[in-house]
Amino acid sequence: MAMIQFKDVAKSFKDVYAVKGVTCDIEDQEIFGLLGPNGAGKTTLIMTMATVYNPTRGEVVVDGHSASAEPDKVKSLIGISFQDPKYDRILSAREILQWHGKVTGVEKGVREKRIDDVLTKFGLAGEAKKRTWMLSGGTKKKIENAKVFVQRPKIAVFDEPTAYLDVPSRLMVWDMIDELRDGGTTVVLATNMMDEADRMSDRVGIMSRGEMVQVGEPARLKGTLKGRDVIEMKLEAPFPELVGEVKHVEEVKEAHFEGDLLKIALSNGRELLPHMINLVTAKGGKVQSVNLKEPSLEDVFLHYTGTTLT
Amino acid sequence: MSSKPSSLFIIWVLIERDLRTLVKSPWILINRTVFFLIQLFVFAFLITKLASSLGFNYFAFYSVGAVVSTITSIAFIIGEDLFEEEEMGLLDYLLSLPFGHTLFVIGRALGGAVRGLIYVTPMMILVAYLDGYFSVVGVAGSLLVIFVLATGISGLSITLAMLIRNANRFDIMIALAELATVRVSAAIYPLVYMPKVLQPLATYSPVTSASDIVRAIFLPGYASEPYETVVLVLFVLIFFGLGSAFLFRKLEGGKFE
Repeated sequence: MAMIQFKDVAKSFKDVYAVKGVTCDIEDQEIFGLLGPNGAGKTTLIMTMATVYNPTRGEVVVDGHSASAEPDKVKSLIGISFQDPKYDRILSAREILQWHGKVTGVEKGVREKRIDDVLTKFGLAGEAKKRTWMLSGGTKKKIENAKVFVQRPKIAVFDEPTAYLDVPSRLMVWDMIDELRDGGTTVVLATNMMDEADRMSDRVGIMSRGEMVQVGEPARLKGTLKGRDVIEMKLEAPFPELVGEVKHVEEVKEAHFEGDLLKIALSNGRELLPHMINLVTAKGGKVQSVNLKEPSLEDVFLHYTGTTLT
Repeated sequence: MSSKPSSLFIIWVLIERDLRTLVKSPWILINRTVFFLIQLFVFAFLITKLASSLGFNYFAFYSVGAVVSTITSIAFIIGEDLFEEEEMGLLDYLLSLPFGHTLFVIGRALGGAVRGLIYVTPMMILVAYLDGYFSVVGVAGSLLVIFVLATGISGLSITLAMLIRNANRFDIMIALAELATVRVSAAIYPLVYMPKVLQPLATYSPVTSASDIVRAIFLPGYASEPYETVVLVLFVLIFFGLGSAFLFRKLEGGKFE
């Protein structure tokens, strides 16, 4: 059974619909990437799942519990790491994590051990007693993420978890999210970073203007962009006659030379690459190098939303 | 490894959060204490001399009222905190935690009241000493009365924070509300010396009720009416309800990604 079910969920504020009838399932223990530009409705959808907002229409079911009918039950399953750190900046990292652990019901002994572990992993043990307003943006973000790692909820929501973080910290957060999932947590990962979504997500959902316009595995979604693969073959010299030969292949949409570079736009580029090399070679082309460009998740996003991530 | 905390535990944890932030900002405590001491030993002393012809001990009257008006002012701070939390987006975090909106309002109102009580307990003991009242039970009872008042004032303050969206308007409204609750009451001057038009309002003010009840405990010759206890309790119930209702309304009506 799906861990989270959005059933025709719509949410309006006065007359403005932030979410317009989203239907989507998120499976138990999967990492679900939620993509969308600012204003797409991601946060509203998350906050509706977290019962902070009541849906105007439809229903969110979390682990079999209706978010509207059993909000406290649902909230007890969810932990959210917000995009902008949300905690009392007058308090220290340890105090923030202690309070969060306590209010979410983590037993004292377990809580203290988890806090020590997370602070050590993030390299924050030496700064654990400083008031957090004194810390850098990256450190504040780590503390925001740390709340969820201390809580270890059934469902973890990370909104831009690696924003402001340096590369080693990003990799560590990704590993920790993976570990969280391996420990039985379902993860919703809202992100604008395509490499993050591609690397982390089992499936992604693309939101645009309040609607969920596409859901699927990243590889499958990329595969839906037929004819978007490009093979670039650098030949010893231009060979215009090859263009006609190449265009006879059914999957090829377009082909042309740019200097001594033969560019072929086609679908299933990865599978057809050996065949195309053989074809060109058989017709007398002398291939010096080959490059395959496949659609990225960003291309998928652009295709389905008609907009870029900002 | 984690279990669903009980309602009482959640209320305690919410109060604890307010206390943690209080401990981290002692300058507020120092500021209010100095203000209180100046009011008591400068203002009240001078006015007592001026009012000596009226035939009653104004210092004793004022000393109790000063504690009540101080806790009233402090209890209003919780609304300012909440407004700031809403502006900073912290409210979204707090409301995503495993407790309901009503429990949140109760926890915050009690947090504001406990915080106020911590501020004024030394003041109350000082006033009891200055007024020559030495019953521990009586002082404890007085603290309970002003705690109830502070809970209601916190609820009122939370209601205003949830009702008003503009920061400047909120600051003005909080200042006016504080002014009205303290000044249109018998906290710092007797009802009979108030303008006639304000007397009915001041009579049924919860600040008047709390002041009169504490004076009845501390000072010989003072009494409180039973309706004053009813006013105090109704005040708390009404603003718990309104605070909770407006919190919900604010969430459902005013936010957009």
